[in-house]
Order: sequence, then C-alpha cells, then structure tokens
Amino acid sequence: MADSKEGIDPIQVLTDELKNEDVQLRLNSLRQISTIAQAIGQERTRNELVPFLAEATDDEDEVLLVLAEELGNLIEFVGGSEYAHKILQPLQNLASVEETVVREKCVESIVKIARELEEEQIQDYLHPLLKTLSEGEWFTSRSSACGLFAVTYQSVDDKSKAELRKTFAKLCGDETPMVRRAAAQNLASFVPHIELEFLVSEFVPLFTKLSKDEQDNVRLFAVDNCVSLAKVFQTEDETLTHVLPVFKATISDKSWRVRYMASEKFCQFCESLGPELTKQHLVESFVDLLKDYEAEIRTSATLKIAEFCSRIRIFREVIIEKIMPVIKELRNDISDHVKAALASSVTALAPVIGKDDSVKFLVPLYLDLLKEDIPEVKINIVSKLDSVTQVIGIEVLASSILPAIVELTDDRQWRVRMSMIEFIPSLAIQLGVEFFDEKLVELCRTWLMDSVYKIREIAAKNLKRLTESFGTEWFQSTMMPKVVDLLKHKNYLFRQIAMYTFTTLAPELGTEFLTKSVLPEITKLKTDSVANVKMFLAKTLQSLIPYLEENTIQTDVKSCLSELSKSDDNDVKSYANQALSKCS
Amino acid sequence: MDSKELDEHIENLYKCQLIPENAVKQICDLARDIFIEEANVIPIEPPVTICGDVHGQFYDLKELFSIGGQCPYTNYLFMGDFVDRGYFSVETFLLLLALKVRYPKRITLIRGNHESRQITQVYGFYDECLKKYGGINVWRYCTEVFDYIALGAMIGNRYFCVHGGLSPSIETIDEIRNIDRKQEVPHDGPMCDLLWSDPEIVDGWGSSPRGAGFTFGGDIVHDFCRKNNIDMIARAHQLIMEGYSYMFEKSLVTVWSAPNYCYRCGNQAAILEIDENLNQSFKVFEAAPFEDRAFPSKKAIPDYFL
Repeated sequence: MADSKEGIDPIQVLTDELKNEDVQLRLNSLRQISTIAQAIGQERTRNELVPFLAEATDDEDEVLLVLAEELGNLIEFVGGSEYAHKILQPLQNLASVEETVVREKCVESIVKIARELEEEQIQDYLHPLLKTLSEGEWFTSRSSACGLFAVTYQSVDDKSKAELRKTFAKLCGDETPMVRRAAAQNLASFVPHIELEFLVSEFVPLFTKLSKDEQDNVRLFAVDNCVSLAKVFQTEDETLTHVLPVFKATISDKSWRVRYMASEKFCQFCESLGPELTKQHLVESFVDLLKDYEAEIRTSATLKIAEFCSRIRIFREVIIEKIMPVIKELRNDISDHVKAALASSVTALAPVIGKDDSVKFLVPLYLDLLKEDIPEVKINIVSKLDSVTQVIGIEVLASSILPAIVELTDDRQWRVRMSMIEFIPSLAIQLGVEFFDEKLVELCRTWLMDSVYKIREIAAKNLKRLTESFGTEWFQSTMMPKVVDLLKHKNYLFRQIAMYTFTTLAPELGTEFLTKSVLPEITKLKTDSVANVKMFLAKTLQSLIPYLEENTIQTDVKSCLSELSKSDDNDVKSYANQALSKCS
Repeated sequence: MDSKELDEHIENLYKCQLIPENAVKQICDLARDIFIEEANVIPIEPPVTICGDVHGQFYDLKELFSIGGQCPYTNYLFMGDFVDRGYFSVETFLLLLALKVRYPKRITLIRGNHESRQITQVYGFYDECLKKYGGINVWRYCTEVFDYIALGAMIGNRYFCVHGGLSPSIETIDEIRNIDRKQEVPHDGPMCDLLWSDPEIVDGWGSSPRGAGFTFGGDIVHDFCRKNNIDMIARAHQLIMEGYSYMFEKSLVTVWSAPNYCYRCGNQAAILEIDENLNQSFKVFEAAPFEDRAFPSKKAIPDYFL
C-alpha cells in the first residue's frame, strides 16, 4: 500500500476500519482486502488476515456479501492453490448466515476455490466442510451444503461417494422447504457427475419426489432437472420412462410459476429429446402453454414459437396443422403483451417455414398486426423485417408490406414512426435508386421536419445511409435543394437539423462539394437572430474542418468563427472559440 | 469546478447515476450564485420550450428531451415542481441544476410549490435524499438552492410564466419584481399565491381547496393581461390528462410534463414550443416505454416462502 507508513500495521488499520459505524466505510475497506493481502505477504495473509476475517462474520448483510465475494478472490494472495483451502474456514462460517444472498455468494466463492484444489485437498478439507454443513442444526447451513456436492463428488473415493449420495438423499427429504429447494436447485448440476448405475436406482426416485413436493418453489426446479437428466440418460427409453412424465406434469402444474418455468425451458428440453420425440410427445404440451389462462405464460410460450418450430421444422405439416391455428388465435389475444410477443415471434418464424408458407400464412398476419393500435406490436414487426425480406424476397415485400410501412411513417406514436423510418433505407438500398421515387424523396424531407427531435436526427442519418448507397450525385440533385431550404426555415430547430444533416453527410459529400456548395450556405447563418443557431453553426464548422480545403479553413471558416466569437452570447462565444482552436 | 468536470457530472446524471455529495455541494453553490443574480421575473428572449411539472420522473424527462431536443441546442423553461412523487427526484433536479450551471442562458428554472423544505419532507424528496446519500446533506444543499430560484419568467414581453397562478395581492408584474423571494415558501401572501393558485371557470377570486393560494377566474386573467400588456399566462401545477389545456379564450395555458403521473394516472404530457416569432406549438408525449426505464433498487428480500 502506497500510504502505509512504517509502524502502522495494515491488519490493525483494517480491524479499526471494520469497527467504524459507517457501513459504507466498512464496505470500502473490505473491497481493499486484496491490496492489504498483497502488502502483508502470503504467509501473514494465511496466518493472520484469514483467521481475522473468519471472526468478522457478525456484521450487516451487505458487508457480509462483500466479504463472501472478496474471500473468493484471495486464492493467489494466500499462496495459490496449494494453500487455497485455508480460505475455507471463514467461508464455512458465512455459509450459515441467515441472508440468502450472502449464502449464495459464499457457496459461489467456495466452488471457485474448490476448482483450484487438488483431489487430496478436497478429500481432506472440502469433504469434511460439506459434512459439517449438511449436518448443521440450522437450515441455513444445510441449504448451503446442497451447492457443494457436485464439486466435491468427483474428487473423493468410492466410500465417500456413497456417503455423499446418502447425505444428498437425506437433504432432498429435509423437513425445511428451503433445504429441499436448495437440493432441487442443485440436483441438475449434480447428476452429470453421478455414475449411470446409481442414476436410476438412487436419483430418479429423488428427482420424482422433489417434482411432487408440496411447495411450488421446490417443484419449480423439476424443469431444470428434467433438462439435465434427459442429457445424461443415454437411451430414449430411460428418458421417456423417467423424465418425460415429470416434464409433462410441470406443464399442467397448478402453480403458474412452475408452468412459467416449463415454458421458459421448453425448447432446451426439446433439444435433448430430438425432433422425432418432440413431435411425438411435446407438440400438444406446447399448444397447452400457448393456450394457458395466464397471460404471462402465453407471452413466454409465444416468444418460443419460432425456436420450437425450428426444432421440428422437418415436420412441416405439424407446424401448419397444429401451431398455425393457435397463432391465429393468439392474434386476437386479450393481452397486449401476448400480441407484442407474437409480433416478434412470427417475424422470426419466416426463416423457419420458408418462402412459400411465409407468403401464404405470415405476410397476411404481418399486415394485420401492423394495423394494431399497440405501438410495440408494430415496432416488433418492422424491427425484424430484414430477416423476413431475406426469406420472401425484396419484391414480394415491396409489393405487399411496404405500403403499410410507408403509411405508418405518419403514425401518431413517435416511436412507431421512428422504427418505420429507420427501416426504409435498408429497403430502399436493396430495391435500388429507381424505386426511390418522388414520393419517398418528399417523405425524407418531411421526416427532417418531424415535430420530434429524435426523428429529425434519424431522418438525417437515413440520408447518410441513402447517400452512401446512391452516391453523392443523388443527394445533390434530389435532396440538396430541400436541405438548403431548411437552412432558411423560420423555426430555429429546423435550421439546426439542416446543419446537422450536413455534418452527418460530410464524409460522403467530399471536400469540393462541401467547400463550394455547403459552406457558403451554412455560413449565412452567422447573422442568425437566434443564439442557439449560431452555437450550432460553430459546432457544425468544427465538425466539418477535417473535410474542408485547408485554404478555406484559414479564410472563410476562420473569419466566420471569429465573427461568432465576438458575440454577446457566452455560449456562442465559447463554441466559436473552441472551433477556432481546431482550425490551426 | 471547470466545464469539463461539469460535463462529466452532466453525462452521469443523464444516465441517471448519482454524483458524489461534494459535487452536489459545488453545483448547488454555483447554481445559487447564478440564481441570486436573476430577477424575480426572468426576461427570456424566444425561442424557448416551456415545460410544466416533472416531479422526479427522470426517464420521462429524458423522453421530453428526445422530443424537444437537447439542451443547450433547444432553450428550455421549466416551471417548477422538479421534485417529489417520482422515484428519481434527486437525479432529475440535479440534472436540471447542472445544466443551469453549465448553460445559464439556455435553460431557465422557476420555482414550484414543491421546491420547499416543508413539502419535500412529506412528498418524497427528503426521504429519497436520505436513502440515496445516507444523510440529509444533499437535501439541505438543494433546499437552500430552492430559496434562490426565481418566481416567474416573461417570454418576449408577451407571455408571463409562473408555476401556479395569480394573487389577489398582485396587480402588476412590477409588484412581483419587488418581492423578497429568498426564503422558504410562505403559507400565505403574494409569493405563496404565485406558486399555489389555480385558474377556475368561475369569475373572481375564490378560496383554494389546496389550502394555500386562491382560485382565479377569467375576468381576473383578462384584467391582468390588459393591465400588464401581455398576451397570455403560461403555468403548470395541475394535472391535465391531455398534457395541456387553454382557458379563457387562450389567455391562459396549463402545461403538464409528467406523463402517466405517479406512474399510474395514465395521462399524456406536453411541452409548449415558442419559436422566435412567438408562434406556439405543443408537443404531446407519453411515458417512456418500460424497456427504457430503470427502477429504484430495492434491498434484496430474502426468499422466504411460507
């Protein structure tokens, strides 16, 4: 530590600071633990700092949370993996505190350390620690124990393994729901380490029992465990017999939280089953979720439509006959969230079902959804249209959907307008300059004059994208006169957006055009009656400097800026001076 | 504090991040030095965009800037009630204050009835400061600044702007100019009325259901406008479902800039753009969408389930 003076012991300083009444101060000093450890060296860290921290577990939860985290970062400071087990003691103490967040962080740190340990250290230190915790009187230490089985199990001998399985089984039947919950939560990460011979005989019963627990907070994890077990089992039979019934039960569980979890993890489970089994066993379940009476679950499942269909994409008729009718029902769902989810889902579905079916089933749906009064629905459709275009082709899109989009560039909701306007350039670029007729050019100009600032900004950026593709000449002939007109608009905000347009386009327009055609127009604003316009002019000139001829900078630009720098208005003056400093 | 440092604080505040307590103190001191020089009724040259109550709805203030344009390129007048009710009074007020310090000519703040020690202790700002800074220093700095904020503004000599409305003890704007405003908002009297009163369709003066200020009718407004040679009074102070509303043949307008007030009223908000030729145009907007907001962090609640 740079400021540690001779005679002042860093541990003593820490001790004092941790006694301070100010929580923030205690937090700050705990954040410095690594620095202190570095200062006092590995040996003292092991022998003094760590034992001291083991005693420091009587504090506010937020302090303990930081302590639990920082302990996990101490490995290199106690002397690396060889000594890492030394940090386990303070963590063992923290593992039994009441606050869940602290315990979880603490288990995280123990696991982090355990990954560095040799098998021998695990056998000698971690296994006893796990044993102590799992026999703890208070439920807190027993639930922390549940998180340590996976990392311990792989490194111990067969006798200990048998013992660990037994202990875990006991925790699965613990009388405290919190412990059963922790066991259920950690089952998924534990089973990949279990030998196949014990899976069916010992773990399937545990898994089945937890999935029927009276607490929905415990049943919740049945879904994760299904996914995990389905991956571990090597034969279809085992999965179908032991896992599938449990998974199906979660979909009709009486608690919406369990059903929600099933919906969230649905596609993961399908992945471990493969397309054939998914088609045979899970289509109806998925439809059930899409028709659930809770809107949250319908939303969640709706968002999975594209992914689910892609898992069974080889069975076209199933998608068309089973899923498509439900999509049509969801179109008229009573919940706005469901409709918004549907909008993003059906755009993602196009690549899955291909051109012909998309044109037949989805395009009409898009047009229909674009008529919705809910902004998110319209925005979700248009924001993913690029991927739809790749499937159905630009011509189909232009003839079918484009008119609806152009109409919506005038929507009452500015965010809807913005998303439509943002979409136009990519479309125009694909369709080519011929498509960009008088009407669209006129619209581009209108967008520059939108009542909402953000849209004016997007409109200017659009012009840049269009000019990048169509070339500077296109801008000069079609847009330039319109933007120059805007420089003379009676509203100061529009005069500014005109200048902003030139700034945005500067890299495309080229030195000569900027110097000869743009500069003379914008410098006329140096006598503008509104200070903001003059500030903006100075700012604009500054950003144009890299693109202008050196001669012109030293003459026209400088003279305009020096004039502005004489303004009575401090802001104009300071913007002008700042730009001037960039001129040389 | 130089402008570079100030710009950094402004940048953080735009992200709705708190700035250090000592920076708050410095900004408050600088703001006070600026406010102290300002008249009770600040003369403003148009163009300027007029905004009503914001009430700590930070993400809706950002929405407002998205629509109206960024300060300093758009000029703004905020007619008070920056704090209370919303989740982010601290960030909202400090952002406006920091902008004021950075660009004193581009943004004008006038005082609302919530810019008061008493009211902020009841409606949230005090508690928020205490929670976010772990002490009341920030609240003290801010409320000291409140005392220096001007009472009104006059746009191009035509539009008089005030948070609440008129007062039976005031006939001319010059009388407002003579008030000693550097104090806590009083319980009654002209200064209190300017911040508390409401227009009412019934002519004449009436007692206010708010318990402070008065109600005033169209006759009072017409008289006031004629006597002071102005065209319109712009004020805030009252929730308007459509965001704004004219009264008395457009001689008075109420502007409200807190959409979905208190996160549940379902109202629209508005700002009023006055261009350089004194033309008026309203921008109506809705609350920032859910994805663009953050919520105040709550301390993690242990996952008990019995």
